[in-house]
Amino acid sequence: MKEVIAIVRINMMNQTKKALSDAGVAAYFVREAQGRGKGFANPKVLEGVDQGYEEAAAVLGEKGKLYPKRVITVVVEDNQVEDVVQAIINVNQTGKPGDGKIFVMPVMDAVRVRTAEKGEAAIV
Amino acid sequence: MLMIRAIVRPEKSDDVLAALMDAGFPAVTKYSVAGRGKQRGIKIGDVTYDEIPKMMLMLVVRDEDKDFVIQTIMDTARTSGKGAFGDGKIFVNAVEEVYTVSSGVKEGVEEAAA
Repeated sequence: MKEVIAIVRINMMNQTKKALSDAGVAAYFVREAQGRGKGFANPKVLEGVDQGYEEAAAVLGEKGKLYPKRVITVVVEDNQVEDVVQAIINVNQTGKPGDGKIFVMPVMDAVRVRTAEKGEAAIV
Repeated sequence: MLMIRAIVRPEKSDDVLAALMDAGFPAVTKYSVAGRGKQRGIKIGDVTYDEIPKMMLMLVVRDEDKDFVIQTIMDTARTSGKGAFGDGKIFVNAVEEVYTVSSGVKEGVEEAAA
């Protein structure tokens, strides 16, 4: 069992939810979060600074600004990990900084509370 | 790669984020949580508060950076020098794979995380 944690843009949530259900993942949970990445400057801002816009120069100095994001957590079987990761990348990729990150982590056990099923049976 | 999740006081989270930025770890995700520790919450008068607001900071770092990052978080999240109940906890998990969505690239172990 693996836990896939994906940090994505908030306006991509609808497409991502659809892509996940198409990939055969019915169960996941989402929470609101704020985050920042490596902090690369936006090319458009650099262009604006070149053209002498003061607003652009002011934005350039902003470091460590936190952007609202959504964190999707999915627990899947080992053989599904690749499909899920690819599905999330396919819909969320715009090629610009801020598209997000995906982390894959091991899960030791899972229990379905309703039936007390354990392990793989609890997540399918 | 390792995922470090730190539960800190909400008023300390800005300090921790600034310290991490200065230390060269800009990439962080935070979300607010509520919880209690082994002191079973705070008792003020007759009222016991057992859901105390905290901030959860989540970051993924290379294995060799773990101790440095944990030390940075601990030094800034601790209150009044020697610390107090409620300053928080830090948890470390193994991360097997890391992908950057914008490039679609799977980050290797030698790559800087996040």
